[in-house]
Amino acid sequence: MNETRREFLGGSLIAGAAVGVGLLADKLVQRSARLEKPGPLTPALTPQGKLIQVATTDAGVAHQHPMPPHAGTALGREEARQGVPGRKWVMVIDLAKCSGCKNCTIACGKMHGTPVDREWIRVFRMQDARHTAPYWFPKPCFHCDNPPCTKVCPVGATYKRQDGIVLIDNERCIGCRFCMAACPYSTRYFNWGRPDNSLAVNAAYSPETGVPRRVGTVEKCDFCPEMAREGILPACVTSCDMAAVYFGDQNEDAVTNADKETVSFSQLLEERAGYRYLAELGTEPRVYYLPPKNRDFPKPSSPHKHKPESPSSPEAHSSHAHAGMSK
Amino acid sequence: MNIALTQDNDAAQVDHDRLQANIVARLRSSLAPASPREWLWIGSLVFMIAAGLAAYAWQCIHGLKVTGMREYISWGVYMTNFVFFIGVSHAGTLISAILRVTGAEWRRSITRMAEAITVFALMVGAPMVIIDMGRPDRILNVLIHGRLNSPILWDVFSICTYISGSLLYLYVAMIPDLALLAPRGAVWERRTGWQRVCGWLSLGYRGSPEQRRLLEKALATMAVIIIPVAISVHTVVSWIFGMTLRPGWHSTVFGPYFVIGAIFSGTAAIITAMAIFRKVYHLESLLTERQFQNLGRLMLALNLLYIYFTLAEYLTTWYGALEADQRLVELLMGHGTYGRMFWLWAAFCLFLPALIVMLPLKRNLIPRLVVASILINIGMWIKRYLIIVPTLMTTYIPPESAGVNPSYLPTWVEWTVTLGGLATFLLLFTLFAKVFPIISIWETVEGVAEVGAKNIGVDIERPTLPPPRSHPHLHRLLPKPVVAAILIAFCLTIGSAVFAASAPPKLESPAPCPEILVSSIKGEDGPLLTATVRLSQQPIPDAQVEFLVQRAFGRVSLGTIATGKDGTAAVQFPNGLPGDPGGELRIIAELKSPPAYTTCWGEAVVKGALPTPAKAEPFPRALWSPHAPFGLVLTIFVLLSIVWSTYSYVIVQLIKIRKAADS
Repeated sequence: MNETRREFLGGSLIAGAAVGVGLLADKLVQRSARLEKPGPLTPALTPQGKLIQVATTDAGVAHQHPMPPHAGTALGREEARQGVPGRKWVMVIDLAKCSGCKNCTIACGKMHGTPVDREWIRVFRMQDARHTAPYWFPKPCFHCDNPPCTKVCPVGATYKRQDGIVLIDNERCIGCRFCMAACPYSTRYFNWGRPDNSLAVNAAYSPETGVPRRVGTVEKCDFCPEMAREGILPACVTSCDMAAVYFGDQNEDAVTNADKETVSFSQLLEERAGYRYLAELGTEPRVYYLPPKNRDFPKPSSPHKHKPESPSSPEAHSSHAHAGMSK
Repeated sequence: MNIALTQDNDAAQVDHDRLQANIVARLRSSLAPASPREWLWIGSLVFMIAAGLAAYAWQCIHGLKVTGMREYISWGVYMTNFVFFIGVSHAGTLISAILRVTGAEWRRSITRMAEAITVFALMVGAPMVIIDMGRPDRILNVLIHGRLNSPILWDVFSICTYISGSLLYLYVAMIPDLALLAPRGAVWERRTGWQRVCGWLSLGYRGSPEQRRLLEKALATMAVIIIPVAISVHTVVSWIFGMTLRPGWHSTVFGPYFVIGAIFSGTAAIITAMAIFRKVYHLESLLTERQFQNLGRLMLALNLLYIYFTLAEYLTTWYGALEADQRLVELLMGHGTYGRMFWLWAAFCLFLPALIVMLPLKRNLIPRLVVASILINIGMWIKRYLIIVPTLMTTYIPPESAGVNPSYLPTWVEWTVTLGGLATFLLLFTLFAKVFPIISIWETVEGVAEVGAKNIGVDIERPTLPPPRSHPHLHRLLPKPVVAAILIAFCLTIGSAVFAASAPPKLESPAPCPEILVSSIKGEDGPLLTATVRLSQQPIPDAQVEFLVQRAFGRVSLGTIATGKDGTAAVQFPNGLPGDPGGELRIIAELKSPPAYTTCWGEAVVKGALPTPAKAEPFPRALWSPHAPFGLVLTIFVLLSIVWSTYSYVIVQLIKIRKAADS
């Protein structure tokens, strides 16, 4: 970590002194220009399964959750290879609730500073057969327990930790892109050019955050490990207005969503017939999906749809309590 | 008797020398100094190489975004070149070795050329993966942090072994010819530095029976060991694809399919090279129709095998018709760009060469074979492209679902680098033929002496060309291309966005909270969790208490229950609730009513939960873990040991040859 910091300091002294002032002004101009641009259209799915185009601002950008970039303390390159002892991070995505608003995509992109179309969680419009109803399918990295990507890495730059997370050390990655070819879920992205590191300029590199991002290396969803260690949910979970994404510790048998509903992981899967996408490939993903049955996705109506910290509706609450209790 | 024997030996020596001089004379035009036409050729190759290096430097500066590769299609022309050149490299060593081992006499005049193709194709093919890398500056990580689990490491091992073996094989088979080149007047009249190098490389070989015996031993050993090495190389290359779960790649036939394709394209490459050298250096007497005819038959056999493997591969994919496979087959055999390329490949590599070779024509054998070979070489490049690009487009989740339409069009950078690679191959080959005999002189002489010129397919009665005028100086002018590896300096920009996370205001409790005592007791039906609610020692009845378990990101409810007259509420302590490593659990009892106390809570750490592991589980030996499975390590170790100890044995024979020269 110290070495990284020293490296970084050296780099920033050279680069920063030379171009810093000019670039700062440049960046500000660019930033304001970006804000003035009319927002792009986002496809949204109505409850009837009809695809409509809505302005991205309507789809949830306006009520973006303020998300400090990388809230936790990230570990250095060697420490980051060990997982958090006793943890087994796991994610559950409720397809019945996903409205396709792409808040998760936007929040993730904002937090990790990824360019548009290369966000680490992306929402796919899925339709299993011609006559079946379409549904939205947010796809992060599945952090497989038998990960095809880490199998093929020639230098151990991508690795599996004991807490289930698959990470990438961007300072070791040689950019061969074998892992991208090996991932059957296409969740890996590549820094083809020089990445924009303006958000992470003061950070020392850590595989737990993936920033500052490195040209010529592979990156992907990291389950926000430095935040998870400190009890902070990943950006895609907290930004979900439908509270469709759950994150938690499998060892504790509990997952939590944006509404701070914490439910039993095993009961949730049992009652809602949870499954893993393309599990027949033998990859053992750590991301579970709840089938899109009885879909409930009006598009997020108001910025303050959120329920208060302790749920006010007793029905909703007791049903979850039941989920936690029943055997 | 002794005198008679000596006379016999002398006569044989005279015959041998005359024969040797005859063959050398036929090679004079290739060993002569470069003609202006050849200089033009070399110059244009050097220009193309320089352009390729410049394009690569451009790529190093700007990153891989200057290529056409993007998300989904993350491999392109570079990987195509890699597989193609490794395939062409099979020409040589394998064919030369197989023919040598089986004692095919007609091989004698083509082995050198074949072995040289192997070495140069590898020298161009192997760096293609480095060119494809996003961070070539970290290439040493492959040695420092190399993982035996990765097929890339297998590739590194097998290609290094192959290139070493091919060089050794080429060298061993060249020792007598190097000895022949070394003395003044044998081939070149003036003694130059190059001849001194040849003399040094020839290890003092004089053709004494002892040296001869050692050389034969070394050569026979190399010829045997290089065959499995060559087969392993293209198998391992195919496993870069075959070991993934991609539709169209995850195929058990890929190893043999690639190997057959490689030998097929290699044979075509030899035929092309033979025809060119024959024409340019007037080697008609040494490279006769006999060689072409036999190689043509070999190529036809490989062609039919290739058709068979293609059928096996695609019929299975098409018939089984898994969802993603269907999309791939549609992409490959349908109407789009890839469909056109696929059928072009099928025509170039499957049908046309077979037809051309099988035509019952007596005339124009060589031109026909050359046309077929060139078609095959173009077709095989297209095939490598089709193996890589359309498969990468065919993902399990169609990218169109996310509104992405992946497409790939190689950019000028990729094409320039590719042409530079091809030019490097051609230049190395051209220069090799100018400074070494492109046809094995000693093997040809030996063949003529042992079984006769007719049986080895050379025509030594044909008149030779006039001798060359002067000496080659070419070696002094060898271009020494220096690969410009430009390290990428990161430009860290300044400017950060501040996201202020405003903390929510703390709510003041409206009334003093009652004391809530949480504990676990033994009930009749198992353990219970209890919470006793008292305010100033007075129990509060009918208060709703919710029992919660503290988890990483929130609290799981165990149920809400009203307190009794003693102010105590109890719920079942569920069986099998995971706790911390000591089996302890943080239980929170939160008041839900009366309304005045709804923010009040009490907590306790109770025992009786399921202990969870305190330490992280150690990594097992698995393909995904840092420790390779034992069987894999053992297999790699044993295979490499066998090959490298065989190489060492060959090198020992070479040392003995050197020692035999001193005695």
